[in-house]
Amino acid sequence: MKIHQRQDKGVQIYEVEGEINFHNSPDLRDRLHEAIARREQKILIQLRKVSYIDSSGLATFVEALQKTKKYQGHLVLTELMPAVKSVFEIAKLDGIFSLAGSLESGLNLLRSPG
Amino acid sequence: MNEKKQFDLLCESGAISRFRTALKELLIRSELDEKKLHEVTLAVDEALANVARHGYKGEAGRIQVEVADCEDRIEILIRDFGKFFDPTSIPSPELPPSKPGGLGIYFMKTVMDGVVYRRGKKNANELILVKRKQA
Repeated sequence: MKIHQRQDKGVQIYEVEGEINFHNSPDLRDRLHEAIARREQKILIQLRKVSYIDSSGLATFVEALQKTKKYQGHLVLTELMPAVKSVFEIAKLDGIFSLAGSLESGLNLLRSPG
Repeated sequence: MNEKKQFDLLCESGAISRFRTALKELLIRSELDEKKLHEVTLAVDEALANVARHGYKGEAGRIQVEVADCEDRIEILIRDFGKFFDPTSIPSPELPPSKPGGLGIYFMKTVMDGVVYRRGKKNANELILVKRKQA
């Protein structure tokens, strides 16, 4: 798994590549927690290159979502591949997270007022 | 039965990753559709993560996996020699989850047609996962 990080007009963007599983999800957790520790208001995670995610990956995102909400931050996940989206659906998390089909719509979600 | 294969691996990330690749190749040969192939891979991964987390607690213990490609189903037996752990006894989590964790066993039960735990020889933990080829 690789994590590429960049900023775009106040949005912290993480692009994850590869599989997110039990063995590497702690690395993802650490990277997200760096942003959470800085109380980043707008975090976008691109998942277009993630082919697989297991429950530990979902747990990482659930934890990140809870922590960002605590300081009124916003977290958006974009471009989920069908296999990844189905895992979110099984856990009934597709309605809990802000999911966007494209990077642009994800950025719009974060930049729209409210 | 079309094919039966046994894998012996250590409970560590490199070995599990290589096993996952071999499992996918076997499942492709079994003519499971893509959705079911993904579901079986997910369930096996969750089972192995449980062995790592609860059975061996991070130690690189031995795991044996037997994959049987039968006419109408795929049967996978996962055997470990770690601490006693029956994942089927864990209650299903609240959904959507309000806290991280606890989803692995729910995934296994949801995507597979059968999940059975038994105590094997030499006190091994044995988890049997069954997936029917047709809905």
